[in-house]
Amino acid sequence: MEILQNIGLGFETAFTPINLLFAFIGVALGTAVGVLPGIGPTATIALLLPITFGFDPVTSLIMLAGIYYGAQYGGSTTAILINLPGESSAAVTAIDGHQMARQGRAGPALATAALGSFFAGTVGTLALALFAVPISEAALLFGPAEYFSLVVLGLIASIALASGSVLKALAMIVLGLLLGTVGQDLVSGTPRFTFGLRELYGGLDFVSLAVGLFGVAEILRNLEGNITRSVAVQKVKNLWLTRADFRRIRGPVLRGTGLGTVLGVLPGAGHVLASFVSYSVEKRVSKNSHEFGKGAIEGVAAPESANNAAAQTQFVPLLTLGLPVSPIMALLLGAFIIQGIVPGPNVINEEPELVWGLIASMWIGNFFLVLLNLPLIGLWVKMLTIPYRFLFPAIIAFASIGTYSIGLNAYDIYAIAFFGVLGYVLIKLGNEPAPLLLGFVLGPLLEEYLRRSLIISDGDPSVFVTRPISAVLLLLAFGAFVLAVLPSIRRKRDVVFEEES
Amino acid sequence: MKMHGARKDLLAGAVFVGFGLAFAITASTYEVGSALRMGPGYFPLVLGSLLVLLGIAIAVKAFVAGEGDDLGPVPWKAGALIVAALLFFGYTVRGLGLVPSLLVTVFLTAMAGRNARVIPSAVIAVSLTALSILIFVIALQLRLPYVGPWLEG
Amino acid sequence: MSLHHRDTVVARPRSARHALGRSSRLAGLAAASLVLAACGGGGGGGGEEDPAAAEAFPEDDITFVVPFSAGGPTDTVTRLVAEPIAEELGGTVVVQNVEGAGGTIAAGEVAAANPDGYTVLMHHIGMSTAPSLYPDLPYAPLEDFEPLGLVTQVPMTIVARNDFEPQTMEELVEYVEQNAADITLANAGIGAASHLCGLLLQEALGVELTEVPYEGTGPALQDLVAGEVDLMCDQTTNTTGQIQGGQIKAYAVTTPERVETLPDLPTTEEAGLEELQVGVWHGFYVPTGTPEGIREKLSAAILASLEDENVVSQLGELGAAPFSQEEATPEAHRQLLEDQIELWQPIIEEAGVAAD
Repeated sequence: MEILQNIGLGFETAFTPINLLFAFIGVALGTAVGVLPGIGPTATIALLLPITFGFDPVTSLIMLAGIYYGAQYGGSTTAILINLPGESSAAVTAIDGHQMARQGRAGPALATAALGSFFAGTVGTLALALFAVPISEAALLFGPAEYFSLVVLGLIASIALASGSVLKALAMIVLGLLLGTVGQDLVSGTPRFTFGLRELYGGLDFVSLAVGLFGVAEILRNLEGNITRSVAVQKVKNLWLTRADFRRIRGPVLRGTGLGTVLGVLPGAGHVLASFVSYSVEKRVSKNSHEFGKGAIEGVAAPESANNAAAQTQFVPLLTLGLPVSPIMALLLGAFIIQGIVPGPNVINEEPELVWGLIASMWIGNFFLVLLNLPLIGLWVKMLTIPYRFLFPAIIAFASIGTYSIGLNAYDIYAIAFFGVLGYVLIKLGNEPAPLLLGFVLGPLLEEYLRRSLIISDGDPSVFVTRPISAVLLLLAFGAFVLAVLPSIRRKRDVVFEEES
Repeated sequence: MKMHGARKDLLAGAVFVGFGLAFAITASTYEVGSALRMGPGYFPLVLGSLLVLLGIAIAVKAFVAGEGDDLGPVPWKAGALIVAALLFFGYTVRGLGLVPSLLVTVFLTAMAGRNARVIPSAVIAVSLTALSILIFVIALQLRLPYVGPWLEG
Repeated sequence: MSLHHRDTVVARPRSARHALGRSSRLAGLAAASLVLAACGGGGGGGGEEDPAAAEAFPEDDITFVVPFSAGGPTDTVTRLVAEPIAEELGGTVVVQNVEGAGGTIAAGEVAAANPDGYTVLMHHIGMSTAPSLYPDLPYAPLEDFEPLGLVTQVPMTIVARNDFEPQTMEELVEYVEQNAADITLANAGIGAASHLCGLLLQEALGVELTEVPYEGTGPALQDLVAGEVDLMCDQTTNTTGQIQGGQIKAYAVTTPERVETLPDLPTTEEAGLEELQVGVWHGFYVPTGTPEGIREKLSAAILASLEDENVVSQLGELGAAPFSQEEATPEAHRQLLEDQIELWQPIIEEAGVAAD
């Protein structure tokens, strides 16, 4: 059994004291920076990359990978506690996670996130170890047309994120797509909606958008003078999951893990898609679907499992083909190069110790994360008892410094102010922010893949339906759309009947 | 029976129509191209128009449903102070440096709180600035200068 | 192993308290990079700052501003040479990444920085193409900067999907001439090295191919490996692994000499396309007005770093080599910059890609 040998080699490498130490430092640092609003995993790795240059290649990559999935972990903590997703995939967790916190159930929400992530991380790592090569080959079946159709499917699925009006959710998605077009056009180089500022050529910053739309808008809502909105008012009921909770999260964790493992391999927004597609699925299959958006524990379990499983399988294309599928993977690829390793399909054969050591370390890192985070839950929940008059200036201060330190760009701070006000107005008018954020993340991809498909096909739109995978995805998207719109049509008919009777 | 949130929906529709128009009109000044040979303006033009339609649909639906509930209180003072604080930070963090810029920013933000008073807000400003320096400059080693060139004379 | 990282902070580790005061001269530029201070720390810069004091230079941290992301090829090159340069100068070098708008944000900031030698820009071939790509630049490469010297030139490779018909460079030329309209040419975005090389390739062959832009090299290579696009021209740093692994095929390398890591790959010149010569050259700059004595010190340190054993071997693994001592001088650097600005302007104009 070659695979057992490989895994054995991996654990042998990962279990050296130095590698264990740096796996721990990586996940601990990642958690810490993930918890701070404003600094996400990409920025964290970019900032910490230089420290690792002096290390052994395996040690360096173990630590950097640890920062990555550790930061994802920390990011969901802030999403739950203060409704501030540090990363696009955590935006979904914030929806129900923060509602749970408001109801005094921050403890179970955090525990669910931790346990779900650990389970998913374990499965994702296992999938990475067993099927890395076949998975990577499957990923190559996806061309621009398939990705376009997948993004369409994802956008349709995101309608389900809103618990209110479908029309408003659609409008928020479209507004998000439009905000995503700000910046230099990839094909022609034309700057769009940049007001002549070169600082905006790279587009609006995701972190600014998330901090403004969620963090600042939330603060403004809390300062409306209505005392009951404050988070700390609700008595904290318990820190741990009840038996009923366990029963409720079992299915979502399993399904989320499955979806995350598969979707994580896809470039661009695989793990974002994973977290909210799994949320949509749960909302549809759960018998508690009326609780979604109001603090359903399934709404935390599913996306957290999905994005953590995806965080592991995202390494597949990097390790087997040497292809980075996301900005974070591109940074890790840079770490390979700096360590004198030529990234490519040969790495897995020429540097088995590195590849398998890294894979094994991910499991160990996930284990550390649970060990580290479960005891911290009590501490985090206590944080909510900090008087709000102290808490919200801290959120603003940390978010400003965090965002500024990433790009040293004052416009990112102005953007926080702009999106804070916009977010407040939109939420006040009954629109939910999550669909906008996902539109913003997926918008550039949608346009890019669409235009690229048409460039390659020489303007022939039939590629989207003649390529079988793309056709199936579009069919699924159509089905999801009908399912999303149907209930609202039916509801309207019910209302009509009510009035008549 | 009365539908809730109708007035909200009217306003929401107006906001979407406004954004849709702004994007669509600006996009039409870029090269638009055709559906199969899209220029930089095509995608935002189509989406902007779609947003206008969605906004109108939301507003019309609200209008048909009739008047709804009230918007509730709006924290004008808090909003103005927080926006001012953020703009101040963005504008001065480089020139004044982290410490003076953050002190003012946190003070303005703290004043946005309910029944906030000057002295407690100043205390919050000083302690949060110290905490931020501890976390970001000392622990994370971000190279943000404490004092900027504007103050160096 | 300690957390102290040699490549980033060399020779004179500083403790955090030095963040106060003098380094504020680096203003906002100074944050993107994270410096791990070793405990203790030797002396720092005390005393009055005097830009004319070439003798005492460097009295404080020197900042190398990289206009692209940490971990990218330009960042790698910078960090490789930062260590020997710091050693040579007997000072501390801090590498910072200031990304955005094809490197013009970073260049603009350095152009406006205090010309005291403590803020140094690393930039690549993009320094010469920016004026054509971004008509509203707040700086002029030749007037607002003093070139300090060249470091390396990363060769580029012309690569294709594995089942693309032509087998050799000669066959490719013939095939492209006959089927130009049907061939897709990938690039990593406007102004990227792959985009520039692609423009030059089309110019050399006198054809117009269908250009397919991507957001970065990773996704472009993925589609090339998957066979979605036909051709690409990119740096050896990005393509060597894929070529060696048999995921894509290579026709030629665009430098005058063959590349050590790909010994069987002919040069474009050998293949009869001597017009197609392009490499991603990297060099250092300071803002105009930097005292001559300080510039000389920096240039000398850069030159010396090119003979550092580690630099030579690491660059070799990337398929590149440092410039020779004669080729790397500030004068040669200025000449190359002038030539390249002149070379690219008509090509970019003709292609009609500009951010105006």
